[in-house]
Amino acid sequence: MKRFFSEAGFIAGLSVVLGLALHVPIIRQFLAGDFAHGFTARGRGPGIILITLAEAEDLFTGGQGFFVDARSRRDYSAGHIPAAKNLPFEEAKGGGLKEFTDGIPPGKTLVIYCSGEDCPAGLTLAVLLKNQGLEGVRVFMGGWEEWMAAGLPAERGNDQE
Amino acid sequence: MIKNKYVLFAFRLIIGGLFIYAGVIKIADPLGFARDIQNYRILPPQACLFIALALPWFEALSGAFLVAGIFKQTSAWLLSFLLAGFIVLVIITMARGLDVDCGCFGKLSRKADWRLILEDALMLFMVLEVALSSPGRRISGSLGR
Repeated sequence: MKRFFSEAGFIAGLSVVLGLALHVPIIRQFLAGDFAHGFTARGRGPGIILITLAEAEDLFTGGQGFFVDARSRRDYSAGHIPAAKNLPFEEAKGGGLKEFTDGIPPGKTLVIYCSGEDCPAGLTLAVLLKNQGLEGVRVFMGGWEEWMAAGLPAERGNDQE
Repeated sequence: MIKNKYVLFAFRLIIGGLFIYAGVIKIADPLGFARDIQNYRILPPQACLFIALALPWFEALSGAFLVAGIFKQTSAWLLSFLLAGFIVLVIITMARGLDVDCGCFGKLSRKADWRLILEDALMLFMVLEVALSSPGRRISGSLGR
């Protein structure tokens, strides 16, 4: 038992030391609060604008927003912001973004949302879409949970057309 | 229990190699791995980051030691515990109805589903064969000594 724990302790200890020592800048960024909205590298997200519920609601009621739901198809089907398109983050990672971005009406403001603050998929999807050349991408960090809690309009189903 | 030394050596190469690969690919993208861990919605951000920084090294080192034959039994047991933990995590995730990436191989990861559980179980079988292979250094010997 002593042998096992000493060897295991050596491997675990070495892993922690190497992991922490080689990523000091990331730890500093974390302590500075850079990852408060998810673990997205600084520099990968410039140009992405985080918006509040009020701003998301304004874009919705004014008709200028083009909402994209980054959650799974099942979550989307259970309820989503009216007229929002579903682009599950896991599927978006696999490609096919060009086809999706081509379908975005010109002049609309792209607003991406996920389930809530603890779901980083919205922000990460925004980075993917921005890398496709889209500008002014907004992320509504409060997401579906905040939208529902505010009693705002919602619809169900998979019909995105 | 498999006793053929060539088969056991092949198991060490396969499992060790896979864990070296899985570790290195995540060491190169710690934030991506932290996101994958956060997607499971079990741990707070601090814990997600700590695991994202340390676990890939743990996987890569254990894998390397297993291949090299250094701390062979201990590495095999550590990887067994890790795989058993992954299986439990995927089962819990599926039971909670979460649709997440497993985070196993960085950007090459895929869904945490039944197929993943079967693959992990197969790997667990292979690495347990290695862990139990040397008489006197089984878990009863290694841990009980």
